[in-house]
Amino acid sequence: MNINATLLAQAVVMIVFVAICWRYIYPPILSVMQEREKRISDGLEAAKKADDSLEEAKLAFDKELDQAKAEAAEILEKANNRASQIVSDASSKAEAEAEKILTAASTTIENETNKAKEELRQQMSDIIIDTTQKILGDEISKEKHEEILKKAAEEL
Amino acid sequence: MASELTTESYISHHLTNFTCGKTPDGWTCDPYKVDQMGFWAFHVDSLFWSIALGALFVFVFKKAISKNSDSSTTPSGMQNFVEMCIEFVEDNVQSLFGSVKNTLIAPLALTVFVWILLMNLMDLVPVDFLPVLAGHIAYALAGEGVEWIKSPESFYFKVVPTTDPNITLGMAFGIFLLTIYYSITVKGLKAFIAELTLHPFGKYLIPVNFVLEMVNFIAKPISLGLRLFGNLYAGEMIFILIALMLFFSSIPIGMLGFGLHLVWALFHILIVALQAFIFMALTIAYLAMAHETEEH
Repeated sequence: MNINATLLAQAVVMIVFVAICWRYIYPPILSVMQEREKRISDGLEAAKKADDSLEEAKLAFDKELDQAKAEAAEILEKANNRASQIVSDASSKAEAEAEKILTAASTTIENETNKAKEELRQQMSDIIIDTTQKILGDEISKEKHEEILKKAAEEL
Repeated sequence: MASELTTESYISHHLTNFTCGKTPDGWTCDPYKVDQMGFWAFHVDSLFWSIALGALFVFVFKKAISKNSDSSTTPSGMQNFVEMCIEFVEDNVQSLFGSVKNTLIAPLALTVFVWILLMNLMDLVPVDFLPVLAGHIAYALAGEGVEWIKSPESFYFKVVPTTDPNITLGMAFGIFLLTIYYSITVKGLKAFIAELTLHPFGKYLIPVNFVLEMVNFIAKPISLGLRLFGNLYAGEMIFILIALMLFFSSIPIGMLGFGLHLVWALFHILIVALQAFIFMALTIAYLAMAHETEEH
């Protein structure tokens, strides 16, 4: 064991290696490691945030869905109401129309009947007068017995 | 050294560094002239492995990120390992250093930890493998041209840098300098001197305080360096002794040596990692002390 200049040389060598490590080796590795650490923690945080927002979105979605369902139900009800109203409107209108047609038809029928009756009456009185003329000759003329004929026609 | 292989020569061969130094006749790497070298001698093998393993550390850690420097990609393979090391160091720095912001501490701790771990791990390479290989390479390269390489065995090559006190104390010395630097810059020169002189007996016994605190202050780096050296030197020594069982004994003892090698290698893995960790933790702790401004 003899101490010599090797000691100084080794001290110098050590300083050189430490300087190299200090300057060129340690900082880049450490920065990569710290960067990665930051990335990982950022990533975890982002994942947590995403989870939270997913939860939020789910809640919002549920709410929205409920609302939409309620709205749909409301719309359906309205539509139903409106449909039934339309149907009832239509049926009442149709009934009224039918009534109207019916009354019009019965009026026409009555008029026709009256007309036919009148005609029949007229023809009857003519036939009677003809017949009576034939039987009585010219004793009875239409002009002479206008009064009587009218009376008879009214009695018919 | 080309002479007969004895227990003593085997051990001393394993414990001698390949040294190049300045002798009165000039620079030489002749192992027979090590005694003439003064302070200006270098353990080339220790420094070679120390630099090679430091470069390996830099290369691996640089490659792990340059290939994959984006935080969006999934880390894999080497990058995971590198990041694990850094996380480990960061945790330790955090727990010992607390809130003090100093960007040098963590890279320093990382370098010290990985580097020492790699150097310690060289202890697990079979004790004879690299020295013999180096001896043959040196012999082949030098040939007859270099008088002191007479045979592959005459070339000394010690592999584990941390079994060389120069290496461990050299690192401790570097950390010691950093401690002084931060003590002065963070606390201020006045507070630093006050810390060394006004404890533990107050201002009327400044010389006593200074001696006591100085011992305390100097003991830190020395114990830091010697702890690592001692542990690894002892581990290496035991490997060498176990290896001796294979070479110099009968077959049963040789077989026992194999078993002991395995057991000791397994146990040594623990020491390797533990000592690297202790060195790193103490480095951080000493630097944390240098940042402490409050009186204690």
